[in-house]
Amino acid sequence: MPLETFKSSKPLTLGVELELQLVNSYDMDLSSSANDLLELLHRKPFPGVVTPEMTQSMIEVATDVHTEHGPLLAQLQTMRDTLVRAGDRLNIEIAGGGTHPFQRWFEQRIFSKPRFEELSGLYGYLAKQFTVFGQHVHVGCASADDALFLLHALNRYVPHFIALSASSPFSQGVDTLFDSARLNSVFAFPLSGRAPFVLRWDEFAEVYFTKMESTGVVKSMKDFYWDIRPKPEYGTIELRVCDTPLTVERAAGLACYLQALCRHLLERNEPPPEEDDYLVYTYNRFQACRFGLDGQMVNPKTRERISIREDILATLRLLQPHALALNAQAAMDEIERTAGRDFNHASYLRRRYAETGSVQGVVRASVDALRGGPG
Amino acid sequence: MFVNLSFLLQSMAWPLVLLLAWFLGERLHQTWQVPRVSSYVAVGLIASLANLPGLTAEVQGLSFLANIALSLLLFELGYRINLRWFRHNPWVLALGLVESVLTFALVYVAAGWFALETDVRLIIAALSISASPAGIVRVANELRSAGQVTERVMHLCAINCLVSVLALKLLVGYWTFSTSGDLTAAALGSVYALLISIAMGTLAGVIVPWLLRRPSTHERGVTVVFALAVVLLTTMSHGLMLSPLLAALIFGIVARERRVHLTNAQRGFGTAGDLLTLFLFVYIASLLDWASVGSGLLLGLVLIAVRTASKVGCSVAAARLSGSTERKGLLTGLALTPMSAFAILLIEQSRIYGFAPAAEVLALMAGMMLVQELFGPVVSQRSLMAAHETHVTQADGQITRSAL
Repeated sequence: MPLETFKSSKPLTLGVELELQLVNSYDMDLSSSANDLLELLHRKPFPGVVTPEMTQSMIEVATDVHTEHGPLLAQLQTMRDTLVRAGDRLNIEIAGGGTHPFQRWFEQRIFSKPRFEELSGLYGYLAKQFTVFGQHVHVGCASADDALFLLHALNRYVPHFIALSASSPFSQGVDTLFDSARLNSVFAFPLSGRAPFVLRWDEFAEVYFTKMESTGVVKSMKDFYWDIRPKPEYGTIELRVCDTPLTVERAAGLACYLQALCRHLLERNEPPPEEDDYLVYTYNRFQACRFGLDGQMVNPKTRERISIREDILATLRLLQPHALALNAQAAMDEIERTAGRDFNHASYLRRRYAETGSVQGVVRASVDALRGGPG
Repeated sequence: MFVNLSFLLQSMAWPLVLLLAWFLGERLHQTWQVPRVSSYVAVGLIASLANLPGLTAEVQGLSFLANIALSLLLFELGYRINLRWFRHNPWVLALGLVESVLTFALVYVAAGWFALETDVRLIIAALSISASPAGIVRVANELRSAGQVTERVMHLCAINCLVSVLALKLLVGYWTFSTSGDLTAAALGSVYALLISIAMGTLAGVIVPWLLRRPSTHERGVTVVFALAVVLLTTMSHGLMLSPLLAALIFGIVARERRVHLTNAQRGFGTAGDLLTLFLFVYIASLLDWASVGSGLLLGLVLIAVRTASKVGCSVAAARLSGSTERKGLLTGLALTPMSAFAILLIEQSRIYGFAPAAEVLALMAGMMLVQELFGPVVSQRSLMAAHETHVTQADGQITRSAL
């Protein structure tokens, strides 16, 4: 089946998807309760979309299409409140964070949907290790070529999003020393990583995708686990590197930072993307995963080394006029606070671990943070 | 050298029976997924039938050990109780209380068809409220189940046990007063025992987590300290003629509120917990007086039917209001079927403290207990399976192999 045509959508519109953890309230382990929660949620209209995910201990929520930070944040908060209230009625806690700090993957129950069963059949233990929780941000693109341009122009900024959103320092009960351990799990999948460097949609669809399809390796865009991938049926590109942050405020901030960045890139004042940009891509990505905001990234154009934190703060200054135009000042403040003062949620969770001395205390802190706790 | 053969046999009987129970439990669990506790009960029943030496209630230490085993399970159950849930979803609490009262009333009425004395009918009704925390917790742990049925069964079981103890203690007080006319003795045996048991459990629930918070105790240490605290509570309760079961349950509930988390690996107090549970179920079954089973069987079956109908009916009626489905309500009611260890140890305790009708009630309920002990855990297990709340790690492995 050939790749469907790329649907045009209003440029710079936003949609946010969050994968959230369902946690039991007595020992804070993941709780296979998605069915129960969905059953209760379906009784009333949900302020957004809520769907089952790979395992029973995860649900995904998605917002409508938004153009501005204010309404996006408002919807995320309403969805969060609805979820938390439903969870309270069923004695289920809900939390953000890219990994569950101590769940044992072999105890997770896979959701009984044919595609998920197929995945778990194919990937075996990887499918269960895939019990990680990400934030996906969709950005609307006027044309398919704009989408591919943005997808590749964003490559140098991918470490920003990894470092800012990182909230998965713990995995299988230990501090991994990574700020985002989640991405290491994603990397295990054969079709993860970066998209091929193709800037024209007809070439992407008719040459690259057709060839891939003929190998029998992929059937649809869903089979690619790229960091950024085009989504033709929505007319968007989808940024997939973010851990689900602990708060919806951070999630909205990240989405609008991406929006302002795309507005800036679409003015095409920066040097155009090229294949050689990707020489430093995996190195930068590793630095962001491992060290978060303290990681060192190499600028692919100038080959200069700079701390990711400094690069974000510099980018924020550059984005000032775009933030004004998009009414996203509050989002920029959130990002600036994160980069400059409060640090990412991985540091927040490490501090809670130092205080409580237990991984259960870390989950408790995540649960409280989502309810409207600290940034 | 002279060997005391009868003493040797007597001392060997227990460990051998326990070993046999363990092997049978594993075997039947693997072949037919029979809940392990049911196998333990079966072995205990056979041992009791064979009248093995040393297997009697007369050996004081055994009853005490059984109380410790059950107290550990009650502590664990208490630890799973989230009081905040009752605030967010009062229907669960209301369901537990209404169902307890209704079960009491219906069983009391049904027992009236069998020409029993009022005293006895009241006691049977009070015991019928309870569900077996031991059976339910062990079955749920065995299946690693999670979901609404599991959560509700745990919470309802705790409420049932609390109400059952309250009702029984009040009856004991009433009986003491009506037979002796001594109000002080009556109050000491009931209200005093209740209040002090609750106070002791609460105190332990505050102090132990506080002790554990001071130096940052290693996670395995947390389990050991909690277990020892439960043992201490049990010995103190015996000395003061209080209810060790009530104290342990309250201890768990309060400790949970203090938020010191037990780790995953220590659910059920690990291997030591397994050993004690094995002993508990074999011991409880071996207490059964086979001579009374036949005569009490019809009564038992009627009471089981009435009790189950009450639990299932209430649970189904409240299901949708409390945010679940009728199907899960039905399964929750059914999963509450097991009723044995808690009721038996509770009434046995009253007998030791001098409550005369206890022995008669034990004999009368023998038939009911036999059926509940053996088949209750199976009903719980099948209910949790039907609710799809169990973890199917094995089945996943098969899927993977066939795909490759």
